[in-house]
Amino acid sequence: MSLNPFLAWLAVLVFDTCGQLAFKSAAHHAEGDGLAHWRAMAARPWLWLGIVAFVVEFIAWLAFLSLVPLAEAVLLATLNMVTVMLGGRLLFDEKLTPRRMAGVLLIASGVILVGLG
Amino acid sequence: MKPSWRYYVTGFLVLMAFDTLSQLCFKLAALHAAPFAADGPWLLRVAREPWVYGAIAGYLGAFVTYMGLLRHAPVGPVFAASHLNVVSVLLVSAWLLHERLSLPQSVGAVLIVFGILVLARTERGNDAAAR
Repeated sequence: MSLNPFLAWLAVLVFDTCGQLAFKSAAHHAEGDGLAHWRAMAARPWLWLGIVAFVVEFIAWLAFLSLVPLAEAVLLATLNMVTVMLGGRLLFDEKLTPRRMAGVLLIASGVILVGLG
Repeated sequence: MKPSWRYYVTGFLVLMAFDTLSQLCFKLAALHAAPFAADGPWLLRVAREPWVYGAIAGYLGAFVTYMGLLRHAPVGPVFAASHLNVVSVLLVSAWLLHERLSLPQSVGAVLIVFGILVLARTERGNDAAAR
């Protein structure tokens, strides 16, 4: 990958990961059921942060697709599973079991092969 | 009431179809709005591109299907279903967009699919313990 596609890919990864973690945070910290749960989520910044991150990601994804073929793009974007999992480990103390590590390593090596072409 | 396996298979296929449609629309929007530049005129071209709205509709359809599946199905298979759209997007990009992967890239694609399957299995087994 040359520089511009790389930057677009980085933006997709960063904003996707931030968005997913923000949504997780919104759901995690809000109390209540049904409508009350949604009210509690709307009263905190996390939900809105997540929405903004996904709007930016939407634009970054379009930019990325302008620069690389669709097949390569969707394969490279699967690294978000790795970054979200690492984010979950850092922020929510989710466990990285050996099986999860194996899945992460498979995806990461696949992404490297696709990226190198 | 526990839904039948047909419910899951249909849901899985519908989810994949929405996702694939959405990605195809994204790519067509990007192609039509080309050349890309990180500026306002490019964003305006994108906003005027009908394909973008196809992509958004596909996203919404996928979201509703995903939530419907999550209500009844365990998270592992749903996780796999929501990420294995990579496979259908690859098929569509080869068929309709005539894209070709190099040999190392194809090997990478196989590794990624295996990785998704491994993650889906772990999500099914010890999800409660791992969270």
